[in-house]
Amino acid sequence: MADYSFNGGIVIRNPYPVDKVEIIQAPLPKKVIIPLQQRIGEQAKPCVSVGDYVLTGEVIASTEDSFGVFIHASVSGVVLSIDEQAIPHKSGLKSQCITIESDGQDKWIDNAGCSIDFLHCSAQAVIDYIQKSGIVGLGGAGFPTHAKLGKIKQCHTLIINGTECEPGVMCDDALMQFHPREIIRGVEILLHICSAKRAIIAIEDDKQAAYQALLMFNHNDKISINKITTKYTSGAEKLLIKALLGVEISSGSFAMDRGIACQNVATTKAIFDAVVDHKPLVSRIVTVTGSGVKPNNFEVRLGASFKSLISMASPSQKVHDYRMGGMMMGVDVADIQAPICKITNAIFVNNHIHKTAIQECIRCGQCSEVCPVGLLPQQLYWHAKSENIEQALNYNLLDCIECACCDYVCPSHIPLANYFSFAKTLNKQQTREQDRINIARERFEFREYRLERNKLERVKMMTDKKRVLKEKMAKEQSQKRKIAEAIKRVQQAKDKKL
Amino acid sequence: MTPIFSSTSWMMRQVIYALVLGVMTAYYFFGWGVLLQIILGVVTTMVVESVFLALRGRYVISSISDGSAVLTAILLAISIPSIAPWWVIVVGVSFAIIFGKQLYGGLGNNPFNPAMLGYVFLLISYPLQMSTWQVDFLSLGQALDVVFDLSNIDVISGATKLDEVKNGLSLVGSIQQLGLHSPSQAWINAGFLLGGLYLLLRKVIFWQIPVAFLAGIVLSSILLFASNTDLYLPTQNHLMLGGTMLGAFFIATDPVSASTTPGGRIIYGFLIGVLIVIIRTFGGYPDGIAFAVLLMNMAVPLIDSFTQPKVFGR
Repeated sequence: MADYSFNGGIVIRNPYPVDKVEIIQAPLPKKVIIPLQQRIGEQAKPCVSVGDYVLTGEVIASTEDSFGVFIHASVSGVVLSIDEQAIPHKSGLKSQCITIESDGQDKWIDNAGCSIDFLHCSAQAVIDYIQKSGIVGLGGAGFPTHAKLGKIKQCHTLIINGTECEPGVMCDDALMQFHPREIIRGVEILLHICSAKRAIIAIEDDKQAAYQALLMFNHNDKISINKITTKYTSGAEKLLIKALLGVEISSGSFAMDRGIACQNVATTKAIFDAVVDHKPLVSRIVTVTGSGVKPNNFEVRLGASFKSLISMASPSQKVHDYRMGGMMMGVDVADIQAPICKITNAIFVNNHIHKTAIQECIRCGQCSEVCPVGLLPQQLYWHAKSENIEQALNYNLLDCIECACCDYVCPSHIPLANYFSFAKTLNKQQTREQDRINIARERFEFREYRLERNKLERVKMMTDKKRVLKEKMAKEQSQKRKIAEAIKRVQQAKDKKL
Repeated sequence: MTPIFSSTSWMMRQVIYALVLGVMTAYYFFGWGVLLQIILGVVTTMVVESVFLALRGRYVISSISDGSAVLTAILLAISIPSIAPWWVIVVGVSFAIIFGKQLYGGLGNNPFNPAMLGYVFLLISYPLQMSTWQVDFLSLGQALDVVFDLSNIDVISGATKLDEVKNGLSLVGSIQQLGLHSPSQAWINAGFLLGGLYLLLRKVIFWQIPVAFLAGIVLSSILLFASNTDLYLPTQNHLMLGGTMLGAFFIATDPVSASTTPGGRIIYGFLIGVLIVIIRTFGGYPDGIAFAVLLMNMAVPLIDSFTQPKVFGR
């Protein structure tokens, strides 16, 4: 199939290559910290209390939010506390978490799963089950899978994203090499759910081993495996669709609006684990890489601390900088006691270096050459910096995917993506403020209108009443007159008789 | 594939290296005066830039080492006559740095090309000093004598070819009789052309501005020449006289003051080329690069906002 590709993007080779990709099983953590706040939606409500004994895979928090998923214990043991803990966040935020102390037994809860072969379940039943299994997009964004699958209508193509989202991250590569069977079966489950005519697994052309592995296990005519050119940002959903199908999803709409479903390979495997093996999402594969460690992939239970995982990757003795996610879009993490979450696809441990000094923007335009979305970062930067949101929106601020390609090539080393992220937040805040103002104004105007209406109504009522009274009086008068006349007539008649 | 530059200073250095060939050619024809002007300009720029950075409370060393001020000084120094008295370049560079750059907020914030602003300031204020070019090669001693006015020596000086064309046309019937051949200017232009090609090769500058710039000159001069061969300069002379190549590859391509969208760069470059031919032909000054660049600098915000490239999904 043709490789349509898209403009911009950068070819970045893995900065910390390994001879052979592996998946190392991390030992059971002694303690896990599981955050209750999810990517979007409300915080989940704990359904266990301190001191309870929980089994691996047991639901410890549930939610009624349609965007939320259930949260499971990732080890068996006793609930130590339910309180605020540090979570991996760029501002070092704290959030409500459940802490479980492992008993080292790893006793699993007996899970009924879908109870029958998924092919006999309705799509909705499987989607509900995916939600109950706590599955979210494992590529890094963490968007709840059931929400993505539930909304799709008339799906014709299912795309399985096997492109590594960022240079240096190897977890999806490893997964495809070592679990091809599960992935292919997972794709079949997804095909069943969205009743798509075909599925395409997209792999970057530098992952030959993964490609071969998947090819060997794929016996389904509906599933094809496509190689695409290795280029950073081809993991972004809309750009991947463009590269594979030549379809450009228009700004503001989603892939599902065009009948295309897109899922990550790790998510696909998690769906297989849940639907076929009846295992909810309690672990994931994390790449630990960087100049300060020996790079490798680890399968680790959710909620284990960054520190416990980093210590397994033979870290150097130097001072380190830590980063969660990729080198491009990741966030710097200060506290490595923070737990590994569902979206932690990679941890970068780099020997500390002084950051290169930031120089002024000279509008050289290197950034707009690499922008995969075709923006003008040099212009946007100007407006974002001066907080001129209106102008920034004119330059399509909201289409920025914050891939940081512009940061990467900027000769002045300006953190452009951070500026744009900031401007977006500012825009959201202003819109919210504006909405509030609009609502208040509407309310005020309605009140004014209502008062005016009441006044008018009262006046109308009064006049009506008056009129009625007048009519009544007139009527009474005429009646009186009639009576008087009648009396008069009777009197006259009497007089005549007499 | 997009190259990745280590720093803005590196880009500035590349531009300075690319100027070397043209400067050496100019030296070959005009001698030490050329180098003397550059040295004076660079020293002035260092002093003025440092003082202003200090006044504005910026880091002097890191800002001055970005090379942009030095580049401005060199561009201005090679644009003015090499026998101009020392204070001309000193005043010009000071004006360029102070009013062209620092008062707007330093590197990256100036709407006009500082070197050209300095040039126009000098051209308007000191027309005599700015229009006297020498003909011969000057030794170091002679150059020092002339530039610092140490002793009264006579340098054979004269106007540039473009000047001659402007003033000579009234005396002769046809432009062809003027003798437009000027090997020195042609060679210097060739030197800057090669330097410019080096910048294109290293992708320090984008192709749109120089190509559109030259296309603008070629098209408009062909039209004029075709309308009257006696009155108007042939295209090849437009290309090889004055500062055409310097303008196309080094001055119009200043990223700060140029248009920054791919389409905008073409419009910007093309209109500069057209304006140059118009000013050279009908204007009051023999060469029009500085005026054309400044005029188009003013139009940049407008051009940029009308030439936004297509955004994915829109």
